[in-house]
Amino acid sequence: MLKEDFVIQSNIRRILIRTSINYSRMDFGTVKGVVYIRGVFQISLSSKDGEEEKMKNLTINTLYSLEKKLRSIPGVSDVIFQLLNWRKERGQWVPVEIKKVEGEKKEEEDENKMESNL
Amino acid sequence: MKTRWNPIYRQILDEIEKEVQVHPHYADLQNQFALLLRMEGEVEKAETHFLEAIRLNPRYREAILNLGFLYMELRRWKEAEEIFLSEVKRHPKDGFLHHILGILYLQTGRQREAAPRIHKAIQSHTYFRDYYKKKGVKQREVVHFNRNAERALKKIHLNHHDAQFHNFIGLYLAKKRRSAQAVKELRKAARLKPDEFIFHANLGTVYTYQGVYPKAIQEFQKALEMDPSYGMGYANLSYVYGLMRRTHDALRHMKKAVQMNPRYADLHYNLALLYSDRKRYEEAVLELKKALRINPSYLFARINLGVLYEDQKKWKEARREYRKILQITPNDEHIRKRLERIS
Repeated sequence: MLKEDFVIQSNIRRILIRTSINYSRMDFGTVKGVVYIRGVFQISLSSKDGEEEKMKNLTINTLYSLEKKLRSIPGVSDVIFQLLNWRKERGQWVPVEIKKVEGEKKEEEDENKMESNL
Repeated sequence: MKTRWNPIYRQILDEIEKEVQVHPHYADLQNQFALLLRMEGEVEKAETHFLEAIRLNPRYREAILNLGFLYMELRRWKEAEEIFLSEVKRHPKDGFLHHILGILYLQTGRQREAAPRIHKAIQSHTYFRDYYKKKGVKQREVVHFNRNAERALKKIHLNHHDAQFHNFIGLYLAKKRRSAQAVKELRKAARLKPDEFIFHANLGTVYTYQGVYPKAIQEFQKALEMDPSYGMGYANLSYVYGLMRRTHDALRHMKKAVQMNPRYADLHYNLALLYSDRKRYEEAVLELKKALRINPSYLFARINLGVLYEDQKKWKEARREYRKILQITPNDEHIRKRLERIS
């Protein structure tokens, strides 16, 4: 199968705009058939108090469905999610505390800065 | 064209009302809610929500214009005039604003004030020149128009609101994956305001959702004819050609999009993919470097750059890019493996 990254990229764009995913805080890229999805994953529906569990399940289902759709694009050999607020553990999507991740990232950046200064 | 209140509109109004309760500080939502209220005939409530949208974002042009048109509809001419005059101060070359002020003055019998406004509108864009010519409006010192033209011009502010309303409903339905209904609504908007390029651009987007690519291309092209400065139109055309695997056309349009939006890293990235797919590696590297100059933390551009260096057997450069990526995302196993392979 010919891997045309631009064709894959156009398909990802179409898939994202057709879903209820709020992709304003997400980035995506394609490298030789490998799809990368990064950033904050959110769905564009608001939740009221007491509906958190429902929203969580909806987000999990949307993540599975997105992954399936991306893998079905001709030429896609792998899909890598690097999300700040969701992580896949043993095949299951679990939410991640976003502040903690950003804090850790900041520490790492500081460490890197120190290394390069040294 | 008179808008009939459709049960779908009520359903959307209820949904937006709930959204407004959850997010009262979103100017966009306040503006959309006001548009829906106005269509339902709740003009006082509509005014309150347009005002709220402007309070939240004082430079929110769409809400400001909507409020101005609402005042025109309510024949509150003075308030409408104040709004459009203040917008003209901000955008003195905006032909549309002069056009609206001209109409407002005509409506209030101030023909001498209307003439220079209409003159400015005509000078600003060929669309207005053709528009007034078609309407049979003759302009010397004062503006002369026949009865049909007068009737049509007096409906303009109503058309603006109705068109905005159908455009919003169309986009809302498209988001809910009700594409066929979305197209109907967007078509209504385009019929009411045929000069508005964004309605055609939105139609292009919805046809893209639907997978009706030839129609999507047609609509994006129409939008570009109306507004040749709509640079993203070329990018959208390029994506549609990409979906059709017509990468030669995609490349041609993406080049144009980049030329018109040289500060948009994402477009350089997409152009690089097109070059790379055609094995034009040097041009691809150049575009990726441009993307990284604009946005140094553009991770995908860096990954693609590393892989391109690898393809060209430039191992040192590839290693450098992979190391930089691992500093940002240390858990990226794909990149780690690639680095190990060439180390």
